[in-house]
Amino acid sequence: MSELTFDTVLPAVRVQRTASRVRPGPLLAVTFLAFLIIAALVPQLFAHSDPLAIVPHDAFHPPGWAHWFGTDQSGRDIFSRVIYGTRQSLFIGLAATALAMGIAIVLGLLGGLGGAYLDRGVGWLLEILFAFPSLVLALLFVAIFGSGVGPLIVATGLGGAPGYARMVRGQVLAVRNAGYIEAAVALGHPTRRIILRQLLPNAMRPLIVTLTMGVGQAIVWASALSFLGLGAPPPAPEWGTMLSMGRDFVANAWWLTFFPGLFIVLTTLSTTVAGRYLQQRLEGRLS
Amino acid sequence: MLELSPHLRSQGRRSRSLLKSTPLIGLAALCSLLIGCGQDASTVARSDKPVSGGTLVYATDREPTCLDPHVSGDMPQVFIGQQYLDSLVSMDEQGQIGPWLAKSWEVSADGLVYTFHLRNDVHFTDGTPFNAAAVKANLDHMANPKTQSSTAGGYIRQYRSTEVLDDYTAVVHLATPYAAFLEVLAQGFLGIESPTALLRSRDQNCESPVGSGPFKIVKWDRQSQVELVRNPDYNWAPPTARHQGPAWLERIVWKFIQEPSVRFASLQAGEVDVIEALPPESHEAARRNPDLTMLVALRPGNPTNGTLNITRAPFDNVNVREAFVRSADVEGALKSVYFNEFPRAGGALSSATRFYSPDFEHAQDYDQGRAAQLLDESGWTGRDAEGYRTRDGKRLQVHVVIGNRTPPSELTLWEQVQATTRKAGFELLIEQMSDVLATQRQADWDYDIRVGYWNTNTADVLRIVFGSEFVQPAGVGGYHQNTAGFASPQFDAINQQALATQDPEQRRALYYKTQQIASQQYLQLTTYPQSSRLGIYKTTQGVRLEPSLAVTYLYDAWVNK
Amino acid sequence: MSAITYSNPRHERLTRLARRAAWRLAGGVLVLWAVATLTFFALHLMPGDPVLAILGGASGNPTAETIAEATREFGLDKPLAVQYALYLGRLLQGDLGMSYSQHLPVTRVLAEQSWATLQLTFSALALAWLLVLALTVLTAGRGRWVSSLASLAETLAAALPHFWLGILLLAVFAFGLRWFPPAGSDGWRTLVLPAVALAIPLAGFIAQVTRESLELTLEQPFVLTARTRGLSDTAVRFKHALRHAVLPGISLSGWAIGALISGAVVIEVIFSRKGLGRQLYQAVQAQDLPLTIGISLAVAAVYVLANIVIDLLYLWIDPRQQGKTA
Repeated sequence: MSELTFDTVLPAVRVQRTASRVRPGPLLAVTFLAFLIIAALVPQLFAHSDPLAIVPHDAFHPPGWAHWFGTDQSGRDIFSRVIYGTRQSLFIGLAATALAMGIAIVLGLLGGLGGAYLDRGVGWLLEILFAFPSLVLALLFVAIFGSGVGPLIVATGLGGAPGYARMVRGQVLAVRNAGYIEAAVALGHPTRRIILRQLLPNAMRPLIVTLTMGVGQAIVWASALSFLGLGAPPPAPEWGTMLSMGRDFVANAWWLTFFPGLFIVLTTLSTTVAGRYLQQRLEGRLS
Repeated sequence: MLELSPHLRSQGRRSRSLLKSTPLIGLAALCSLLIGCGQDASTVARSDKPVSGGTLVYATDREPTCLDPHVSGDMPQVFIGQQYLDSLVSMDEQGQIGPWLAKSWEVSADGLVYTFHLRNDVHFTDGTPFNAAAVKANLDHMANPKTQSSTAGGYIRQYRSTEVLDDYTAVVHLATPYAAFLEVLAQGFLGIESPTALLRSRDQNCESPVGSGPFKIVKWDRQSQVELVRNPDYNWAPPTARHQGPAWLERIVWKFIQEPSVRFASLQAGEVDVIEALPPESHEAARRNPDLTMLVALRPGNPTNGTLNITRAPFDNVNVREAFVRSADVEGALKSVYFNEFPRAGGALSSATRFYSPDFEHAQDYDQGRAAQLLDESGWTGRDAEGYRTRDGKRLQVHVVIGNRTPPSELTLWEQVQATTRKAGFELLIEQMSDVLATQRQADWDYDIRVGYWNTNTADVLRIVFGSEFVQPAGVGGYHQNTAGFASPQFDAINQQALATQDPEQRRALYYKTQQIASQQYLQLTTYPQSSRLGIYKTTQGVRLEPSLAVTYLYDAWVNK
Repeated sequence: MSAITYSNPRHERLTRLARRAAWRLAGGVLVLWAVATLTFFALHLMPGDPVLAILGGASGNPTAETIAEATREFGLDKPLAVQYALYLGRLLQGDLGMSYSQHLPVTRVLAEQSWATLQLTFSALALAWLLVLALTVLTAGRGRWVSSLASLAETLAAALPHFWLGILLLAVFAFGLRWFPPAGSDGWRTLVLPAVALAIPLAGFIAQVTRESLELTLEQPFVLTARTRGLSDTAVRFKHALRHAVLPGISLSGWAIGALISGAVVIEVIFSRKGLGRQLYQAVQAQDLPLTIGISLAVAAVYVLANIVIDLLYLWIDPRQQGKTA
């Protein structure tokens, strides 16, 4: 749901002078993210049941000792499903953000370096993509190419790309006139090397933070699409899909909807807080 | 007042309470302590005498695409249609045909000519009088390809023409004998509309059709509701109705609320008076709520099922079909996903259908041992790394084609089928896609299982679902009602014989045979019968499910608000 | 001797705004044309035969004549370029075609369904701003504890997915407490929960940005001057600081409307509200080409227009922006 524009976020953040003190917020956030990453890589460490094993007799158990998050309508342990779902959701979030960034870099470079007409053209293309609210764009994409994890990643990536592209373009424009670029050009280095070795890394560094938060946003977007039934199909333990399958039973069994949603919230929260903290550290280092 | 249809079977109840909404109860308790908010505490007096006047708010799950049930023809259409249309004949609880707009009729000896003697005191709400010409206009309309009538048109394929003998005598000519003709005429799908209205364009008629029924349509507010008002001149109710003369209700607001939990919550709050498609997960809550009554009736016809495509492997072998059906634990799914509120349908006909026989209820019982034995006998003896059975290196794969508007509970049921058939070695691939793509796959016969059902008040449904003439696509679109691909001359002959005779005992014997064949051939995995489930708020009484199709009938209903 | 021209600053400002508005509108029209083209060609790539979609999908039983007629009626037998030209022509006349799934003109569907979505979107935006102003003005710069707590609340609010929030609100306030009706599109009571579900995450976002901006502004010299002139704290906050501080928030509001429309798709489904969002979702599911294009165009048009208005509003509010061009 977020396309944090670079200009509004970065200047408004204040530099923390007491950056050396350990603050609880970012610590918790980073710990949770680490937990997520481990859960994605080795779910068996935390989840003890098969997320796909159907036990109809155990359906709709409320949260308790045997099942920390309760069971769903087919008797599957929700905690296990949420843990296994981490892999799906993180993968989709990272892939979508990577895709969005890829598109954004291409467009941003074209716009920032390509000269006035190309810049206008790219700007115009971005305007068109921007004319669609992200979900509408994603819906159109899914309508054409069908639902499933692949189209979900592309649709989510497309939704985020215009925002990043604008940022990249702005950064490229800002960096290309820097002294070290001029020096490299004067020294006769090949253009491609300048772009890859010097321009891009320096342009992208302030965007690392946006990217971190962007992964969280991408996960929410992908969940929204899965919630509408346009993403990972059941019985995939993807958080959005679980929310969707559970919402019919919210009056009887609130835990089917509550816990997957909770994990989405915590993931987004963690990426935001961690990203902010990263930003403040970087600002501190740069200033 | 709980009206139980004679076809309703008693259900086993879950002893374990499902209302684990502790946080919600806690909040609600807190709230009522503090502010006294929540439910209206006053109890509405139930009067046993009907009250004239008032508005009934009805909420259903699906919105029709057209209000005229002649066009296409699905359940949402016939539910609304039943309120503003009358039919030529009526059908009672025992399946007997009675008069309605037609006072009496004669059938010729060869079964090809039906002479209807019509009432002379009926007129439509636009003033047009009802007469033989109207009957002709309606039947022609249903049979006309331009109307694109799947259901009504499909039911009267044998129709040739109507002769207007005089104002109140209509003679209908059929091409072949059709004993089920009167049965289908009793359905709301073949309701009689005003011939003047039928002359308008199809889209106009879809928006504001005109009938002679107890209510008439005022306005259709898309995506929201349809408004109906009382027809003050109504005086020709069928003998199956509880009273005669105009309806009690002044107005009906027919709302569309797709989300099941939201629909039920609206009922509990009293925002709507009657809901349809009462979700199974809310049955327990409805039973416990003293303000609500439930009205449940099974629908006749072919129950909800997965039809097996016998024209290609692996289901071209009846043993493999039986093995699949036996290895699917549908009962377990019904207990969990549907809260044990739906009975298991064991045969090809729902128990509410006339001429239903209970002898085939256990042919599909869960039996993994038998499934294993059958698969071994059929040559599927290999096992690959993931445990699926193989034969000559090919895996035992089954593709299930499901439309993407299938409700989540149905999907979960098939997930459970997937898990249990896996134990026998089947790899079930559930493929969800848009309706357009699903129809395409169906037209190409590119599926192993197709999920569907067919609601109708006659056992002749088996001819439609398994008869060889329905294997061929009806139109260029490719859609074919017979999704199994079953084409047996013997089966077709029995169905034709059943259509050629009016004698109920003969028909019973013949339909017993058709059910037997369908059961022995394992053409479908039948899961649960379709049912009409109404939840009724304390303000409303007299709501009924009419006997032919178990469709909501609000003519005898009244509200006391 | 050169004549002394007295320029009327207000007049100048207005003309500049008007010129900018005209320029932006022209650009907007161009963008809409591109959007229409993109959607048209993209949707023609959709698999499946549109004729079957028109003729009733799964239960349809079309004969050859019916199919031929439908193909003629909807012009599906002509080559793609011709269809596109016809489509553009009709578009210019305001004819968006016939919806396959509803058998109604698309313009009629838009007319019937737009109001509910506009209601929802603008109520949510207004509510979000109300929350933002209340929270930030009251708590900005008042000390680290209050600030951190409010900041945490904002971050948490922004992290809530609106579909999850909607379901929870529905469960607690409609099913459980029965304060609000769980479904419907008429009356203000049905608007409350959906608007709140959309407003809270949005408020979180805008509040974060506005708070930072307000805190920065409160340190500016002109604020100090105002304080030394004896103005009360509230007056300072509201009259002077706010005007500068809301600028980033206003700039975000343009994007916010797009996000709200996206959110409306899911919220309308959850709360069974009529509206363009739910209609679009159903149109995509039914592969209803004209309706999908029609709604996408309408949404894009509203979005582009809203952004133009926001842009002009930004100019109007911020005196510093007057001299700058795009």
